Amino acid sequence: MPDSRRRVVVTGLGLVAPQGRDVELAFADLMAGRSAISLNAVGDAPHSATIASAVCKDVDAAPILGRGRNATLDRVSQMAVLAASAAWVDAGIDNLPEEERERSSVLLGTGVGGAQTTEKGYRDLFLRNRSRLSPLTVVQCMNNAAAAHVAQLFGLGGACYTYSVACASAAAAIADGVRRIRAGDCDVTLAGGAEAALPYGVVKAWLSMQVLAPAADEAAARDSCRPFAADRGGLVLGEGSAILVLEERERALSRGARIYAELAGVGSSCDHGHITAPLASGQLRALRAALRDAGANNDDVRYVNAHGTATPEGDPVEIDALRQHFGDLAPRLPVSATKSMHGHLMGASGAIEALITAMAVYKGMVPPTAHRSELDPACLGVDHVLGEGRDVGELPLALSNSFAFGGSNVVLAFRAP
Amino acid sequence: MSAPEMDSLSLIRQVIGKYCDAAPEAVVPEATLADLNVDSLSLAEMLFALEDTLGTSIAEPTERPQTVADLQKLVEPFMGALAAKASSS
Repeated sequence: MPDSRRRVVVTGLGLVAPQGRDVELAFADLMAGRSAISLNAVGDAPHSATIASAVCKDVDAAPILGRGRNATLDRVSQMAVLAASAAWVDAGIDNLPEEERERSSVLLGTGVGGAQTTEKGYRDLFLRNRSRLSPLTVVQCMNNAAAAHVAQLFGLGGACYTYSVACASAAAAIADGVRRIRAGDCDVTLAGGAEAALPYGVVKAWLSMQVLAPAADEAAARDSCRPFAADRGGLVLGEGSAILVLEERERALSRGARIYAELAGVGSSCDHGHITAPLASGQLRALRAALRDAGANNDDVRYVNAHGTATPEGDPVEIDALRQHFGDLAPRLPVSATKSMHGHLMGASGAIEALITAMAVYKGMVPPTAHRSELDPACLGVDHVLGEGRDVGELPLALSNSFAFGGSNVVLAFRAP
Repeated sequence: MSAPEMDSLSLIRQVIGKYCDAAPEAVVPEATLADLNVDSLSLAEMLFALEDTLGTSIAEPTERPQTVADLQKLVEPFMGALAAKASSS
């Protein structure tokens, strides 16, 4: 790694998660293996369904935006505003000078943007026979609404972009945040993602794919997401937002900022194989690119926050890629899939998992895959952290994997500061 | 103030509370929407919500409502139907 390169650190974390909005408490919950997945009804009868899902409570950005403006935002944008505000405060950059704000970026990922507004529009038109829609429908459901509202909130005048790369959306946003700071476009970037895609129509689309984990009751719902388990039943949908303050390292050091982790490497690739079935070869390209970018050796890596969705197809491929790359080191490589507790936040999953990985590095703690079920033989060969987390003291380097439908892969490498 | 006006004011107060931070007692006929911090986007969404409550389409106002009284004028033609609907349900 060339020493002359501008380096990027994480100085602020903001979270709206099924576990809550307090990062410390949420991380403690994850370390204890506590799942926030429950049984939830979506839609209105007769157009309704009940699924295991991970839902955020008390999502209301009115205390930040005022009731008037808040009422003009879809839930996904409200989540992003809440997460961004928390990250901003956490980073302690409220005194960011005007000229720096004008250069600072907002880069967010989302899969489907304002899905609730979209569904409400269809309900109004086709079920209620209304002749017109809310005049704010377009600006509430457009994918870049969340990023735009965050930029307005803090007066950030640099690039304001939205990445829609299915389940790798937020990871792609964070990766580009690193690249932009390195390139000198800006010194501060708010990067992450938001997803509030649990209306009936979206849920039915997922149900049709037959990839959602079934759950007969609350207890079953809580334990329904079992990545790498022999009896895994599929993925569990979740919602939420996580936003990281990325900052040029010298700037952060000069102001005495708390540094959670250095975002030392990013790697991107495409499987170019199949619209849903992942390929280890594509994942390996992203993994190797991230490690090369970080200037890291294989034995530096002490934790992988896996994409681990708990689908029959996806989990073995991811473990295969890790086995192929880490070889003899793989059996001692701690791996977990925190989706077992916060669900799959789709376009925001790369953000919440980046946040968790940054916290893992900061605290020297490895969160678990929540279950203790028997593992799928096809998923063996790494050190699965099951049931509860491990306090490992220090974590030199950790990876966060995001692998999307469409074959897009992003791997983020976090180094202890 | 006549009874229908009271009814329309109550309705406006009920709906406007979701679109601004003003106290209910500040929502009086002479109050301007600007004073209540209801901007053009909030107003558009609020008119749509009023239609939802009334169960009808309010005619597109030829001039943008400026005051609470202007909003009352928009909804008053429908208050009787709303009262009838409430008493029959």
